[in-house]
Amino acid sequence: MDPVLYGYMLYGISLLTVGGMYAILALGLNVQWGFTGLFNAGIAGFFGIGAYTAAILTTNPHASHVGGLQMPYIVSAITAMLVAGIIAFLVGKVCLKLRSDYLAIATIGIAEIFRLIVNNETWATNGPRGISQIPRPFEGLPEPINQVAFLGVVLLTLAGVYWLMEIARKSPWGRVMTAIRDNETSAKAAGKNVETFRMEGFVIGCMIMALAGALMAHYLKFVNPQTTDPLLATFIVFVMLVIGGSANNKGAILGAFLVWTLWSASEIVAPRLLEAIGMTDAGIRSAYVRIFLIGLLLQIFLQKNPQGLLPETRPSSPGKNGS
Amino acid sequence: MKLFKQLALGVCAAAMFATAAHAESIKVGSAGGVTGPIAELVATIIKGRDLARDQINAEGGLLKGDKLEMVIGDSACDPKAAVDAVGKLVNVEQVVGIVGPSCSGATNASVQAVTIPAGVVVLSDSATAPSVTELKDNDTVFRVSPSDAYQGLAIAQLVTKAGIKKVAMTYSNDDYNAGIANVFEKEFKAMGGEITGNQAHEPNKASYRSELQTLTQGEPEALAIFAYYGSSGITIIKNSLENGLFGKFYAADGMFDQSVIDQIGADNLKGKIWITQASSDTADASYKAFAEAFKATGADPAAPYAAHGYDATFMMALAIEKAGSADRTKIKDALRAISNGKGEVVRPGEWAKAKKLIAEGKDINYEGASGSADFDANGDVSGVFAVNVVGDDGKWSKELLK
Repeated sequence: MDPVLYGYMLYGISLLTVGGMYAILALGLNVQWGFTGLFNAGIAGFFGIGAYTAAILTTNPHASHVGGLQMPYIVSAITAMLVAGIIAFLVGKVCLKLRSDYLAIATIGIAEIFRLIVNNETWATNGPRGISQIPRPFEGLPEPINQVAFLGVVLLTLAGVYWLMEIARKSPWGRVMTAIRDNETSAKAAGKNVETFRMEGFVIGCMIMALAGALMAHYLKFVNPQTTDPLLATFIVFVMLVIGGSANNKGAILGAFLVWTLWSASEIVAPRLLEAIGMTDAGIRSAYVRIFLIGLLLQIFLQKNPQGLLPETRPSSPGKNGS
Repeated sequence: MKLFKQLALGVCAAAMFATAAHAESIKVGSAGGVTGPIAELVATIIKGRDLARDQINAEGGLLKGDKLEMVIGDSACDPKAAVDAVGKLVNVEQVVGIVGPSCSGATNASVQAVTIPAGVVVLSDSATAPSVTELKDNDTVFRVSPSDAYQGLAIAQLVTKAGIKKVAMTYSNDDYNAGIANVFEKEFKAMGGEITGNQAHEPNKASYRSELQTLTQGEPEALAIFAYYGSSGITIIKNSLENGLFGKFYAADGMFDQSVIDQIGADNLKGKIWITQASSDTADASYKAFAEAFKATGADPAAPYAAHGYDATFMMALAIEKAGSADRTKIKDALRAISNGKGEVVRPGEWAKAKKLIAEGKDINYEGASGSADFDANGDVSGVFAVNVVGDDGKWSKELLK
């Protein structure tokens, strides 16, 4: 195959792989923000818990960090979700009583605490040096089959999470969630235990985020505290969900792929654009212009389209047709 | 229909023009944390890389007069961004090799996730984490920046030579400073020294008095600081001097900046501070050649890793020239061939000479601005270190450690 074409194909695969992982993150956030109305601004923390758990469980033993247990991927993925679930439960016990913006502040704090822990508990995480040589599924296969196979893992996981979330959305459970989001008082008046439902939404969302984190650790083959930098682990996920369509699972996925493609491909386009208009130092400037342009685009888009690309559709109410 | 034809013709013409314009340029990736926490340092490092590019293009370019083009990728000092940026350089821009990225974490992730499987050579000018050495890289990962292991060793030797037996140490908890601190601790103990206290600190705090108070226990003779001057280093020294806690400071190159003297005062620091730095032998002909040209562009040749950025780019170009084609797979062998200590010496700026020697089939040995740049079996260099003290003119005065 023509090397240029082949290169674009590999780039396409990487776009879909990373986009897929972000889509899983966005689905996790959708349970919390989209359906339940929980403002979790600490996505990076739970993403990081997943990434570090996977790293510690699947690597080979190494003097610089704990673990190195060489566990199968499926075990590490499930453990990552369980660990995140337990931590989310404990955090939820304390924080979920807080209303929207206070919850946001508290969860930012939680993510920061997590980052400081992995940064400082050097014996366990190798501190700022990070954990290296994390295995990736199918990496032993020849290129590009290995990359396609890993993409398959990501997309299958995404499909599974989507399927479960759709069932949840259409179930009575999902309807209670939206009821709590839209009018907590009336949900309470209808006899729903609001606190339990909020906790369920929070824990499930955080477990999904940890799953995405575990996949990301295998993809990057390396994690360090900077991997949980909020720009590309918290804020971009909110942007994805809001652009795609909050409370719409298809929207979350669409938004993730779209925004990630925009983010990544803008680095290819921006310097060429600046060069075309005759700017010197196009390479360095474009890195900043790119961030500015994306921000601008989002502003314009959200002004015009506050509902997102795919607005929420309510599942048909069973009461309506008497079924 | 007619319109369609015209459009198609226009597109074809544009495409031909585009290929014609690019046929004569050979792309090398210039990855670095253009945005992110060390953006300021990276801007100067990239200036160093660009100087090498400009000199090469001015003296006949690569191979048959092809232009060397440095394509910037923003690794943002974040592993996720780095994997994405380096992936684009490899797959979309189809670069022959990559200079950079900056930040050890970004380098670690992007070489493992992208370049090692793709077989593309990475020549880092500022990644210093010892873990890069361990990677199974099929000999595709090189660096001209010495591993932290060597700077930690250099400071330990310096302290021991000064006759100091007991040292307290503090480090800013980021991958760079923690790495050097780690090695220093190990090496200093191995030389028979005693670490009376070792405290990590978070950067950007208003005061470090409580940490420093704790560190004074055990009668240490000096404080070893591994930190960036702006985010914690200056505050630590100020706090120590104001409260009379420490009178001698040893520090790694994150502390090297004129603002340290400007903000604390030359009189307060004189004879009290020693800062090591991965450096260049400023008396060396190679360094002088680079420094003169770099100064002419208005940049500071002493800026951290600027000389390394220059060397990495120059060496990548020499490797392409030596390989005889812009073929990714040939770069790793060529890179070893142009700098293994054997052959006629080529110094910074001597592109025309190097080109001629290679054309004649002669062996060359690049002696870089940052040091001899001869790779060991792991693709690492041992580096040259210097110590900075406060000079009579209130500026840093540098002396080479040998």
